[in-house]
Amino acid sequence: MDKKLQGFQLVAQEKLCSILGSIPGKKELILEPALIKPLEHVFTASWLKLKGIQRIYKHDAAQSLPRSSDQVHIYMIRSVLGTFQTLLKQLESVALEEMADLSLKMYHIICVPCCYSYFQTLLEQSGLWGLVQLHHFNWDFIYLDQGVLSLELPNLFECLYLQGNTSPLPSVAQSLRLLQMICGQPALIMTFGHHSAQLIQILRALGKLPEATNPPEYGGWLIIDRDKDYPATLLTPAIYAGLLLEVFDQRSGEIVVDNLKNKISSQRVELLQGKKPKVGPNPSSKPCSIRLNSTADEIYGDNRYKRFAQVSSLIHAQVKALGLELQKLNDMQLEEMHDYVARKLPKLTELKTKVLRHLNASEIVIQMMVNFRRLQTLEEDILNNVSRKRLLAEIDELMTTDGQRFNTLRLMCLLHHCAGVTPEELQIFARNFCNLFGHQNLIVFQQLSQAALLPPLVAEKKVPATKLLSQLPLPKFQQTEFQANANRLKLLTSCGDGQDGANSSTKNQAGGMQSCPSYVFNGTYIPLVAQLCSILLKTNNAEELSSKLTMIEGLHLHMDGGKITPKAYANQVKVNGTADQDVFPLRLRNLFVFVVGGASYAEIAACDFVAKLTGAQITVASDSLMAGSDLIATAFTH
Amino acid sequence: MDLQFDSETYWNRSSRAAFSFDDEDEVDLAPDLASNGILADDTISEASFNNSATLNLSIKSILSEDALKLVLQEQALDDRVLPKGVSPEEELKLLRRQLQSTLYSPNLEATAQKLLQGKTAPLEMFKSLQEKQQLLDTLLAQGGGHAVITVLLFLKRTLNALQFHAILRERPRALEQYLSYLKESGDLASHIELLQRFGRHQEAALKQFQAALASGDLGTRKKHLQLLADAYATAGVGIIPLYEQVFHAALKMQQLMEKETGLGKLLRAQPTPVEVLYACCQANSNWKEQDMLKPISPQRFAADQQISAAQYEWTALNERAQAQAYADLECIFERVPSWHPLKTKQFHISFDLTLAVLRLYELQAPSTVLQLFLSKMGNSGEKLALARRVKCIRAVIDAMAGLKQQQELQQLKDTLPERSEEQFYCENALKSLQSKRWTTDNIKLKL
Repeated sequence: MDKKLQGFQLVAQEKLCSILGSIPGKKELILEPALIKPLEHVFTASWLKLKGIQRIYKHDAAQSLPRSSDQVHIYMIRSVLGTFQTLLKQLESVALEEMADLSLKMYHIICVPCCYSYFQTLLEQSGLWGLVQLHHFNWDFIYLDQGVLSLELPNLFECLYLQGNTSPLPSVAQSLRLLQMICGQPALIMTFGHHSAQLIQILRALGKLPEATNPPEYGGWLIIDRDKDYPATLLTPAIYAGLLLEVFDQRSGEIVVDNLKNKISSQRVELLQGKKPKVGPNPSSKPCSIRLNSTADEIYGDNRYKRFAQVSSLIHAQVKALGLELQKLNDMQLEEMHDYVARKLPKLTELKTKVLRHLNASEIVIQMMVNFRRLQTLEEDILNNVSRKRLLAEIDELMTTDGQRFNTLRLMCLLHHCAGVTPEELQIFARNFCNLFGHQNLIVFQQLSQAALLPPLVAEKKVPATKLLSQLPLPKFQQTEFQANANRLKLLTSCGDGQDGANSSTKNQAGGMQSCPSYVFNGTYIPLVAQLCSILLKTNNAEELSSKLTMIEGLHLHMDGGKITPKAYANQVKVNGTADQDVFPLRLRNLFVFVVGGASYAEIAACDFVAKLTGAQITVASDSLMAGSDLIATAFTH
Repeated sequence: MDLQFDSETYWNRSSRAAFSFDDEDEVDLAPDLASNGILADDTISEASFNNSATLNLSIKSILSEDALKLVLQEQALDDRVLPKGVSPEEELKLLRRQLQSTLYSPNLEATAQKLLQGKTAPLEMFKSLQEKQQLLDTLLAQGGGHAVITVLLFLKRTLNALQFHAILRERPRALEQYLSYLKESGDLASHIELLQRFGRHQEAALKQFQAALASGDLGTRKKHLQLLADAYATAGVGIIPLYEQVFHAALKMQQLMEKETGLGKLLRAQPTPVEVLYACCQANSNWKEQDMLKPISPQRFAADQQISAAQYEWTALNERAQAQAYADLECIFERVPSWHPLKTKQFHISFDLTLAVLRLYELQAPSTVLQLFLSKMGNSGEKLALARRVKCIRAVIDAMAGLKQQQELQQLKDTLPERSEEQFYCENALKSLQSKRWTTDNIKLKL
């Protein structure tokens, strides 16, 4: 199956090839810089050369590229309105002067992943119709690692959840359609959330598929909206891959390890950073990168979903062992040495550089996560809603003494999502936040309230009634939607009121044995996708599914006939007496999971764990992979 | 230019990389542009992308020919081009169908599907209001995406403002999409106007605030902020206290920056309030009695900007410690109790003492300063642990004395350098501990 998923690359190549093939002339490609990394997963420079591209440039928004009369310029940009408009302005000044022959199109713009239909309107309005031709190119799923796919669409969360702009959805549906062509139709599609259901609707609207030639690979698809499970990104993960993403910038399955700056240090106010990190003996030491791919990097592959503490000691041990191995060289005879140098040494030195890279990375993680333990306790208390007053005070203290632009806000969002924050409490927090990070961040709070990550602030005059209500202390028994759902699905594993046997992970942690997917959050929380996967895989009939998922709003099954709730499905099976046609238990035990709005490594690891436990295979895909701070950061791009 | 991609020389040459493929390097393109393309000197390593080499897959094993054809066909934006090699009769049929749909009855489903795929589809034949609304509703029901915006732009062009707004009013999701379009296109004026038209004054105010802060020079920024702050208070649409307070604080800060040009020199462009506070601390010379009449005295500034006590103390602590003016630290944390102004000053700190001590240690404060802070800690056990961590021997001794750990003190004393100050200190502590034990001070006092 992994082979097939890697095959997306071939399809992407075919697609691009057909675009390039349709353009005659001496071609030059001008790429938006942000596209380069993901494109490296699709083709190589020599492939482009083979397809007739003579040179490649990096697009510079501030400077237009001169073109000699016989060249064709092909621009490749993301379908973001702002970028498109700037490019059009740039071309306006060049192309219109040339008064070129309209029959020869010398300028092309390839929009990734989709050419929005109104781009044509804008092209016409700017007077470039006929001079510039538009194309679109969707690379679909990029195979980042075993069991991990990404569409590499960085702005999807912002568009869908913060702005209510569904523009990118059709292209996501198209990618899912291609997945259906490659891996066959699943017996069951389950969606949770508005956008997920809509994706399936668009998928249907896009038309029928040709008969599949290959047997289906997946027994079921699970598509969920990010806002149905915020904690899975907002909580700090305890696993290696997750923490790497917390600290280092990730681009298309690759992280950049820089000794001088990283994701966490750049969130702080510089003046209050305390002592500057000492510049090492080699200040010009180049930042190196680690590919988060288990075939390219076996050390990553071995450790990616293990607990960080465990990994860090494993790596230390490995460094030691390698050192010993290399020391052997000193005690060898000349003959032996020749042989050793020729055969083993290159491999060893390669391994050594890799291990050292991981060692360096994990040391920076330790250095950056000084508050880790305190943070974990705080997050656990937030999840279980223990003493709210103190939680707010602690968040405030963290902001004052170790203010991290995104991570502090992230805790507040988590608190709101789990236990609810009143507008008054938010106002105090927001004032302190703006004082620390600048007044221009005021809009961020409005943005996050759009995604239900924070409470909306309401003008005083309009609704005196709600104000009165909010002044009353929240009664103890009032549950937030999160708490209700989390209890129904048994996601909280550390609250201690007698969970069933499978969830006693905290006791087993000491032995390094994990029996529950909540290990990804140190035994406090099971990511929703993992729990749903395990329900899907363990369920024996429709009735059982319906009882496990009762009272959960927004969850739908998509059969041939359309959208249906689990309960209705169970009834249907019962009434028709067609128990033998029940899709449960799933015959094909492979699941495809898609998270609309960014998946976290904790989720991926938890799914991997469930898969191992149940002997299934689970592929997790999303539009991008992100850590909690990335999610919060989307509210800051205004 | 001859590019030898796969030859040894190419890869050797590429290592000198005048020009990186990495987007983080801000390389000036200009000189290289004319002579060299990126490919001539890039750093993409072919070796790291061995996917295609090891894949050993053919496209045929993944997708059937039909499917691939469909995929490629769907990718083409303009399928009005007639397919080649069709018989004349079929061509006639095709043309008739096209004519039908362009001139007479618009085909709702087909248009929606085309738009969803990003293809060009003529919209002009949707003439009647009902047809227009139907088209929009169909797309909205299907999840719409960018096609909704396309249709909205078409509606805006072909309907008058009254009708257009009526359509938006009835369809909140369409309104959201349109607002998002306006925002991304950078059309701020229309965006704010539309927000206000639909009664979303708070968001409009936020947008205006954003725009005011973004304006380049201080003068216009101040003017816009002034206008906004006045308008917000008097608009009569209800106010959010936070917004009002931040608008005013921003205005006040701009006014201050304008007056005190000296401060600006210490700061980057567009500083945050806490950064300005830091600069105020740098400029302040009298920490004993801060002049509350001077707007740049740290305490006054903090009060003006409603900077919390904790933030004020933390900023001042950091600044004073960086400046190595440790003597001032005491003044920062001394407070006259408000309930009894005649009482002597008391030590008061708004965040965990441990954090203060650790930060001071990090900033290499001398151990007497550390001891001062450590001495305020109530719990001797914690104090001992922390004092050990920051290597403040005197505080270790204090804590041990507090815990009455005579033996440990004795051991510690033996490890200290002979005749050093610390040793004397330790000896004294030991003595007092011993003497306390044998005297009956407590009883005497009671008598």
